[in-house]
Amino acid sequence: MDGGKSVTTAMQAGKLPVERRGVISRRLSGILEPYLYVSPALILIIAVMLMPLVLGLSYAFRDIRILNPFSGGFVGTAHFQTLITDDAFLGALVNTAWWTFGSLLFQFTLGLILALLLNRDFLGRRLVQALVFLPWAVPTFLSGLNWAWMFNPVVGPLPHWFTALGLMETPFNILSDPDLAMWGPIVANIWFGIPFFAITLLAALQSIPKELYEAASIDGATTRQQFISITLPFLAPTIAITLMLRTIWIANFADLIVVMTNGGPADSTQIVASYIFTQAFRRLDFGYASAIAAVLLVLLLAYALGVIALRRAMTHADS
Amino acid sequence: MASIEISNAVKSYGAVDVLHGIDLDIQDGEFIVLVGPSGCGKSTLLRMIAGLEDITSGAISIGGTVVNELQPKDRDIAMVFQSYALYPHMSVAENMSYALTLRKTAREKITDAITNVAEILGLTALLERRPKALSGGQRQRVAMGRAIVRKPQAFLFDEPLSNLDARLREQMRTEIRKLHRRLGATSVYVTHDQIEAMTMADRIVAMHDGIIQQVGSPVEIYDRPANIFVASFIGSPAMNFLKGAYEVAQNGTAGIRLTDGSFVPVLPARGATANQAVTLGARPEHIAIAADENGENGGIPARVELIEPMGLSTLVHVSLAGNPVKIFTLDRPDFAVDSFIHIAFDMEKIHVFDTETELRLPPENEPHGPQTA
Repeated sequence: MDGGKSVTTAMQAGKLPVERRGVISRRLSGILEPYLYVSPALILIIAVMLMPLVLGLSYAFRDIRILNPFSGGFVGTAHFQTLITDDAFLGALVNTAWWTFGSLLFQFTLGLILALLLNRDFLGRRLVQALVFLPWAVPTFLSGLNWAWMFNPVVGPLPHWFTALGLMETPFNILSDPDLAMWGPIVANIWFGIPFFAITLLAALQSIPKELYEAASIDGATTRQQFISITLPFLAPTIAITLMLRTIWIANFADLIVVMTNGGPADSTQIVASYIFTQAFRRLDFGYASAIAAVLLVLLLAYALGVIALRRAMTHADS
Repeated sequence: MASIEISNAVKSYGAVDVLHGIDLDIQDGEFIVLVGPSGCGKSTLLRMIAGLEDITSGAISIGGTVVNELQPKDRDIAMVFQSYALYPHMSVAENMSYALTLRKTAREKITDAITNVAEILGLTALLERRPKALSGGQRQRVAMGRAIVRKPQAFLFDEPLSNLDARLREQMRTEIRKLHRRLGATSVYVTHDQIEAMTMADRIVAMHDGIIQQVGSPVEIYDRPANIFVASFIGSPAMNFLKGAYEVAQNGTAGIRLTDGSFVPVLPARGATANQAVTLGARPEHIAIAADENGENGGIPARVELIEPMGLSTLVHVSLAGNPVKIFTLDRPDFAVDSFIHIAFDMEKIHVFDTETELRLPPENEPHGPQTA
């Protein structure tokens, strides 16, 4: 009986500190709890995005060649100094601009025209809307191979058609002509990218209230004036954001080039992204490739910030 | 300003006719309200006047010119939309001046017009704002301003008040009416709200199923509805209807024998024959609660189902011969639910309708008035 009593007393004596400890741990777990919930996402982001980014940036300042066991040392800004005088890189930079804006201009213009056509009522409109999306669904390397074949006079029809139209004297492969080769991947990329603009712009077009056009037609606006004062202002935010996204995507999009021309002939279709690929996986010079990638990152970042600033200025003027 | 003549206008979508031969003459400076339930074709008719819908057959002329083939912009009309349809990327001033700018009006003239209209509508302080920075009522005013600035031949309104709350709607109703008196512009106003129709119209055009049921002044339509549809659509609380058979006594007095056997005396109806199936129509304010249980005026017993106090008045819901009947009274009755009261119909004011054709059979002493069926 006595023993039982002493146990009870001990438990009572220990009660207060236990309670206080409970308060502290509860407060602590209150602070930690939210982090616990986001930790799967955080760990994933750190492991697959931040770590590689930091690692990649550090490679840019080191001599890393996979097949050279003595490489790995810190070389400072040596890679960047080489880069400034690397004609292949400077050529790739010009080609990137050419490739990006050449593709973008036609993708956007043709996509907008297609969206405007699809926004009209006609028989089988839904079916056509679905079909328009097809190029987007074809694997890139298959598109690239097909287009490469189509430009080949031995198996493809395009050179023969160009000759028949008087654009070529005799059928030849433009992909093997350094002056014209870039147009091959650009044409393939235009075909591939039109659906993206057509679908996003169509969605934006369909969100414009019909009454606005009716009000404008009563006010006396012609179709062209309606397009300028209603359609374009409504599409502007969508146009701005899709143009920015696509610029960055196309600038980094080397798949078609690698499949169709592999950067050739004579580096005439080499863009920065495919040059990085060549340096890293053909020459196995990861250090130099990382330096090029770092430069590309800074350029695209500057471009994106510029577009965002422009957009902010526009929306501020709006409200 | 101009008159609008619509003659035998038909609108069909494929095989479906939504308007069956509409004839309507709108006088210069008149305020016409097209009223009817959803799908009656009133908005379609308005859009045909505006030029936003083709005219399948028939003709519409504005100011003496047939406009069937004219583009909306060439009809010299202005329209106020239910959604207001303000250009969201333009300021209030730009919204109002857009039509004038497109017409290449001189800048000073535009500024004068805008200043003037903004003053009328109380928009002067808001001219530089975008529509999204405005309240519902202000947007409505801008939509009105955009129409007024152009000084068109006619104003078309497509349910312009239905997006406003009740209080604002009431206020805008009076304002539009005052504005019309000030500008004297021919106006066609579409609404499904019979109160708007009653309060605003010079003449009401009641429509149903693509056919004009009746055209007349609000009072005319309210007091002498052409048929059961108009009688039931106009007036709130709605008219009560009771089915029965027409009876004529030896001494020439007439009445309706209801299905439960009770008898309601009515004025002899033109064209009604004995035992003809008729429908009695009585507005809630034309039914009295008899003072005593003996039921003077041929009071009929009815069971109380619900008492609805509305402040100014009280609405007593009773059941008569199995039919719901509403009674309007300015008294404050305190009947118990399920108790029986005696009710009496005002013989001079109640209506007799032919149950089959649904047309009103006017009293024999009523002068032949203009009626559209």
